[in-house]
Amino acid sequence: MLDVTGVSVSYGGLRALTDVTVTVGAGQFVTVVGPNGAGKSTLFKTISGVVQPGSGSIRFQGQDLLAMKPSKRAHLGIAHVPEGRQVFKAMTVRENLEMGAYPEAGQRDWARVLDRIHALFPILAERATQLAGTLSGGEQQMLAIGRGLAGAPKLLMLDEPSMGLAPAIADLIFDRISQIHREDGLTILLVEQRVAEALELCDRGYVLETGRIVLEGPYETLAGDDRVRRSYLGLDA
Amino acid sequence: MSDPQILVENFLNALTAGILVGCIYGLMCVGLGLIFGVMRVVNFAQGDFLMLGMYAGYYFFTGWGLLAFLGPYAGPLLSAILAGPVIFAGGMLLHRFLISRVSGLRTTGSLDEGHFGQLIVTLGVSLVLQNAGLIVFGSTPRTVNTPMSSSAWVIETHIFDSLVFLNKARLISSLLAILAAIALYVLLERTRLGRSLRAAADNPTAATYVGVDVDRAHRIAFGLGSGITAVAGGLIATFLSYSPFVGLDFVIIMYAGVVLGGMGSILGAFWGGLTVGFVQQFSGLVLPPQLQNAAIFVVFLLILLLRPQGFFGRSAERA
Repeated sequence: MLDVTGVSVSYGGLRALTDVTVTVGAGQFVTVVGPNGAGKSTLFKTISGVVQPGSGSIRFQGQDLLAMKPSKRAHLGIAHVPEGRQVFKAMTVRENLEMGAYPEAGQRDWARVLDRIHALFPILAERATQLAGTLSGGEQQMLAIGRGLAGAPKLLMLDEPSMGLAPAIADLIFDRISQIHREDGLTILLVEQRVAEALELCDRGYVLETGRIVLEGPYETLAGDDRVRRSYLGLDA
Repeated sequence: MSDPQILVENFLNALTAGILVGCIYGLMCVGLGLIFGVMRVVNFAQGDFLMLGMYAGYYFFTGWGLLAFLGPYAGPLLSAILAGPVIFAGGMLLHRFLISRVSGLRTTGSLDEGHFGQLIVTLGVSLVLQNAGLIVFGSTPRTVNTPMSSSAWVIETHIFDSLVFLNKARLISSLLAILAAIALYVLLERTRLGRSLRAAADNPTAATYVGVDVDRAHRIAFGLGSGITAVAGGLIATFLSYSPFVGLDFVIIMYAGVVLGGMGSILGAFWGGLTVGFVQQFSGLVLPPQLQNAAIFVVFLLILLLRPQGFFGRSAERA
């Protein structure tokens, strides 16, 4: 479904990504893990078009993403739930969800998708008329995920959904993400620093370090790798 | 005729004139409220958009006489409304070629959010517009003079039998101003386009992620803000004489109105403008005309002292 091939990105001479290749198949749950500053968010921004790659290609369902405007990509069915949540602070919870439904697919399925979002995160129904900027961090994260779902996407990209959240809330968010994948069959690309939880959920994983993919494979391969066990999972090799 | 009667009559007339002029100032501030309050673009050329709206009104009705056939009532008012789309298009072009280079996605995350660049660019645009106006329109003060500019409906009140004069041009213009402000409010709050404009101003990056063409949204919002102020200009032109430098007088009180009302609130900008018109007319009772703008700023400072977030300012950030 999504093919990122040989993508390199530089910020003013600084290499952020080097020859990164990531593949997400339809219906899969794919995770990219790695330390801070490894280039995980840059990878997402490149897919969404906010950052331009120096080389490489990105295709979504066979279409060349780099040939189209960033704002067109959401309409193809790519939902990007950004790092730091980035809700529309001066708009209400409901308006945030309506903005998520900006793509045509979201318009068409609005009633059904809204019910689904409210079933996953009942608090968003309760706070429908509240300004998003006044929500707690966890609620903002739920809203950001809800906004992503509201577009009825084919691919949901989640950038560090657990960042800055209390462990209990982070666990709830992970539960919901896994539920969305299981019950709705949505294809998910997840970037996380909480490696243990992220790897547990995924079908396939990538380890990104200083802008390069150093390891990839199914959960068993990654969890069995000595370096991953030592560096990320805190286990003995 | 007794003294209290004159006093009451002056008071009532200042009150009504304040409301009438205030509504038009309100519309003028709504235009800037969209550009400065919502989009956070500093625009010192806003007063000159007002001036262009005034001249558009003049040329449509008096100068070229295109709409003269509509008569002295509908003609100037329709001319004022037509100034809207003309300046809207001009504002979009200006944004496309100049403003977009110092605002929006280009300056997201930069230290000053592009405000320094916007300040210089729009001051420059303002100078160009004023002097081009001087060349094209000439320095002779103009008016869109019609019978309604100098006639009034008279209301007899029971308070000391005083008379209240409702200037026809001002009354009809203020009603139109209210309608235009409501139309913009509905557009922004109730439509898909309006929501996308607000989202693009609120968080340009996130707006891109949900599929909004942010450059286009900013362009439309800037055009709308320009056009709305120009309509207000066309309406003011029905009762005030003006020259190409008139924008200078208005741009400062527009900013006062927007900040008074509360940044980011369209409704607030309207109330801010209304307050400014009110204070201006009332200060005329006791102060010489030269001090009217000073009075506006005394009130402005007082309100900022007591309520720094403005009437309708709301903090969307979690404390």
